[in-house]
Amino acid sequence: MLSFCLILVAALFFTGVISRTKSILSGRKGPGILQPVKDIIRLFKKGVVYSSTTSFIFQIAPSIYFSSVVIAMLVVPFGQSKGLISFQGDFIFFAYVLALGKFFSIIAALDTGSSFEGMGASREALYSMFAEPAFFILLGSMALLTGQTSFQEIFADLHLGSPISYALAVLAAFVLGMIMMIENSRMPIDDPKTHLELTMIHEVMILDNSGFDLGLILSAGLMKFAIYGALIVNLFIGMFPYEYAIPMFFAIQLGAAVITGSIESFMARFRMSHNAQFIFALTSVSLLIFFGVLMLLGKFI
Amino acid sequence: MTELIHLSWIIPLVAILLISIISSKYKPYAAAVSVILGSLASGWLAVSALNGQIVDYSFYAGAFLGDVSIRVDGLSAWFILIINFTALTGVFFGTGYLKAYSHEASKLALHWSLFVLFHFSMVWVCLLQNGFAFLIAWEMMSLSSMVLVIFDHHKIQTLKAGINYLVQMHISVVFLTVGFIWVYSQTGSLNFSAIRTFFQENNNLWLFLVFFTGFGLKAGFVPLHSWLPHAHPAAPSHISGVMSGVIVKLGIYGIIRMISYLQSDFVLLGEIIISLSVLTGIYGILTASVQRDFKKMLAYCTIENIGIIGIGIGLIGMGTRSPLMYFLGFGGALLHVLNHSLFKSLLFYSAGSVFQQTHTRDIEKLGGLIKNMPKTAVIFLVGALAIGGLPPFNGFVSEFIIYCGLIEGIHTNSINQIMLMILVLAGLSAIGGLSVLTFTKTFGTVFLGQPREILPHKPHEVTRLMLVPQYIIIGVMLVIAIVPQFFLNIVYDVLAGMSSKILIDPVSVSRYSKTAAGIGWFSLLLIGLTGFILFLRSLVLKKRTQTIGITWGCGYGTPNSAMQYTGRSFSKPAGKIFDFLLIEKKKYKELNPDEIFPGKRKYDSRYFDFFEYNFFDKITKYLIIGSGYFRFIQNGRTQSYVLYGIVFILVVFLLTIFNILQ
Repeated sequence: MLSFCLILVAALFFTGVISRTKSILSGRKGPGILQPVKDIIRLFKKGVVYSSTTSFIFQIAPSIYFSSVVIAMLVVPFGQSKGLISFQGDFIFFAYVLALGKFFSIIAALDTGSSFEGMGASREALYSMFAEPAFFILLGSMALLTGQTSFQEIFADLHLGSPISYALAVLAAFVLGMIMMIENSRMPIDDPKTHLELTMIHEVMILDNSGFDLGLILSAGLMKFAIYGALIVNLFIGMFPYEYAIPMFFAIQLGAAVITGSIESFMARFRMSHNAQFIFALTSVSLLIFFGVLMLLGKFI
Repeated sequence: MTELIHLSWIIPLVAILLISIISSKYKPYAAAVSVILGSLASGWLAVSALNGQIVDYSFYAGAFLGDVSIRVDGLSAWFILIINFTALTGVFFGTGYLKAYSHEASKLALHWSLFVLFHFSMVWVCLLQNGFAFLIAWEMMSLSSMVLVIFDHHKIQTLKAGINYLVQMHISVVFLTVGFIWVYSQTGSLNFSAIRTFFQENNNLWLFLVFFTGFGLKAGFVPLHSWLPHAHPAAPSHISGVMSGVIVKLGIYGIIRMISYLQSDFVLLGEIIISLSVLTGIYGILTASVQRDFKKMLAYCTIENIGIIGIGIGLIGMGTRSPLMYFLGFGGALLHVLNHSLFKSLLFYSAGSVFQQTHTRDIEKLGGLIKNMPKTAVIFLVGALAIGGLPPFNGFVSEFIIYCGLIEGIHTNSINQIMLMILVLAGLSAIGGLSVLTFTKTFGTVFLGQPREILPHKPHEVTRLMLVPQYIIIGVMLVIAIVPQFFLNIVYDVLAGMSSKILIDPVSVSRYSKTAAGIGWFSLLLIGLTGFILFLRSLVLKKRTQTIGITWGCGYGTPNSAMQYTGRSFSKPAGKIFDFLLIEKKKYKELNPDEIFPGKRKYDSRYFDFFEYNFFDKITKYLIIGSGYFRFIQNGRTQSYVLYGIVFILVVFLLTIFNILQ
C-alpha cells in the first residue's frame, strides 16, 4: 500500500520535473511542475473524436492499457513493505501485464488504418521485445544473488551480503533506467518532441486518440515513469528504515527525472535503424551483472 | 471398465459403416455422435484414472504381438481428455465449415469416416502399452490424418503437402520401430515395461535419442519441423486445429512416456532437450512473424509452443536432482499442452472462419474484417492474447510455471545449470516479446484498418454452429486462467502416480498451488479493474460530445486503403535484423534512369524456411539426381518386370539351396 501511494505521488511530478529541467537548461521559463497533470485533467473534460475507420478495439484499448499499468504498479514493492500484489515470481507477472497493455496500444494504432501509426506500432513491438531479455536476465541474476523469487524479497535481501552489491545495483539502475526510457519512449530511443510522424514511436501511435482516452494514455505514461523510478529506488533502499527510505525515494525519483531532462537537452536521438541493436546491447549489460553475481557468490574461479 | 475399452473401438467401427451408407446431409452428425459417444467412453476411463482407479487390461493378439496390454494411467488420461475435447469442438466446427461441400457425398463420406478413425486412433495411441500395437495405432493416426489433410485433393499444392507429411511421418515411424526393436533385442519383450528394464541395464542416452527423434518429428522440434508449415495450411481448418492442437502433442506424450521409464540421472538429456527447445521456440516464432499466410503463421507458432513445452520437458530432465524443478517442469509442460491445444485450435478455427468467408489466406489482401465479422475477430483476439502468454488468459499460467521452474533452476549449485537457465530465461522472454509482435501484426492486418482488396463476396459472420464450439473453448480457457490451482493439482496427482522415485515436498507444491490460485485472483482483478474503467469511461463520455472524423494523415483528407501500413512492413524491421535466419528472396525490376514515366511493375518478395532452403531442399535435390541414375530399372517394359521377378525367385531359390540364409 505504501509503495502504491508513493508511486502515485511521484507520478504526479515526474514528467513535470523533466520538462522543467529542459526549460531551465534551455534558458526558458517553462511550465509549472504540475502542468502535465493539469493537461490530463483538461483532457478528461474534453469531448472525443473517433476516426471512421476505427472499431471498438480503438475505444477499449486505452482503458486496458491504463488498467494494465495500474496492476503492474500494484506489484512494485517499497523496500521492506510489500506491494499489494506479491507472490513468488511476481516480476514475471509484472512484465507480462505491461505487455498486455502494449499489445492493446499496438492494435489500437493499427485500428486507425493510418499510414504512420503502424510504423510506431511496429517499432514499439520490436523494441520492447528486445528490452525483455535484459529485464529477465537482470531479475534472474538478482534472484540468484539473493536466493529469492519475488520482487519484495529480492529487494529486501539485496544488500545483506557485501558492499560490492552496490556496484551491481548501480549497473542494474542503468539497465532499468534504459528500460524506463524505452518503455516511455524517451530520449535517446525516441524523441517525444519531434514533429515528424516518420520518426516518432509512441507519439505516432496515439495520434488519433483524443479526450478521455488520451487522458488515460497520458496518465498511464506518468505512472510508468514512476514505476520504473520506484524499481530503481528499490535497488538501494532495502535495508533502510522508512524515515530514510521515503526521502531517498523522492530524492532518487527526482534525480531520475532531472537526468532524463538533461539527457533530452544535451543528446540527440539514436539513429532509428540502430535502435534495436542498441537496445539489445542492454542484454549484455545485464549479462555483465549476471557474471558479477556469479563472482560475488564464488561460483566463478 | 473393460466394457468401456471395448466400446471405444466398437463405436467408431459402427459409425464408419454408418457414415458410408447414410445420406450426405447426416454424415457429419453421425460422425459427431460417434465422437461424442467415443469421448464419453474413453473420457470415463480417463476421469476414473485421474481419480486413482488405474485401468489395466491385456488381451492375446496372436503369436507375433503376444500379450497386448492396455493401461490408462494419469498421463494417458490427461492426453485422452485433451484429445476428446479438441476432437469434439473440431467435429462441430467442421460440420459448419464443410457446409458448402454437402453435395459431394463421396468426399464427405471419406472425410467424416476418417475423422472418426483419426479420433479413435489418437485415443488408442495413449492406451496401448505394447510397442508394435502402439505403432499400428500410430500409423493409423498418421495415415488417416494424411487423408484428412488432402481434403482439397484437386489442388496440387495440397497434394504435395500431403505427400510431404506422409514421408516425414514415416521417417518418424522408422525411428520408433528401430527403438522398439532395439528394446526387443535386448529384453525379448515389446511391452513398454520392457523399456524400463532396458534403461535399468543400459546407458539411457542413445535409445532415448532414437525415440526423441521419432516423437520429435511428430511434435515438430527444429530441425524436424518442416512438415508442419506445409500440412497445416493445406488442411481444412478444423483438421489443422485438431492436428496442431493434439496430433503434435502426441509426440510430446511419447517423449514424456519415455522419460517416465528413464532410470538413472538424466541431466544431460535434459540439457540437450532444453537447449533444442529454446532454439525451436525462437526459430518458430521468428519465422512466424514474417509469414503472409496466416495459417502458415499459426503452424510456425505451433513450433514455437512446442519449444515452450520442450523447455518444461527439459526442466524435468534437469530436475533429477531437484524434485521441485521436476514438478514445475512437468506441470508447466502438461499445462501448456492443455492450454496450447485450446488456444491453437481456437485460432485455427477462427482463421478457418476467415478463410471460409474470404477464400484467401494472404493477410495482405485482407483488412477491416472486424466490421463484418466482429465475433470471429474477438475470438481470434482472445486466442492471440492467450497464446502470447498474456494475463488474464490461460497461456500465462503455464508459461509462469515454466518460468518458476527456470528460476528454481537458478538456485542450484552447478554453474553450467545456472548459465543455461539464465539463457533459457532470456530466450523465453524474447519468445514472449516476439509473439506479441507476430500476433499484433496478424490481428491488426487481418481484422483492423480498412479492407485492402475488394473481395469476391462480401464476408459475413459465420454460422452459430461454428461459433459455439469456439465460445466453449474460450470458456474452458477462462476457467484455467481463473482457477489454475485445480489443474495444477491434477498434474501433481498425475506425476505422483507416474513415478514413485521422485519425492516432491508437498509443502512447496502447495505453495505453488497457492501462487497459482493468487494468479487467478489477480487475473480477475485485472478484468474487474478494466471493466470498472470502461464503465467510468462510458459514464463520462455520455456527457461529452463525440464526433466522427477521418484518420490523421498529416492534413491529407482522402487516405485510401493502400496507404495503410501493411503486415509486411510491420514485421520488416524484425526480418531485417534476423536476416541470417529469415531468408528473403525478392523478384523485381530496377527502375531505369531513362524511364521517365514508369509503367506498371511487379514486386515479389517471400520468406523461406531456413532449414528447408539450406538443407532439406538441397538434400532432396541430390536424392532426385542420384535416383535418376536408377531410372533404367523402372523402364515401363513388362518384359523387364517379369525378368526382375524371375531373378528374385532364382536368388531366393539359390540362397535356400546353399543354405546361405541360415
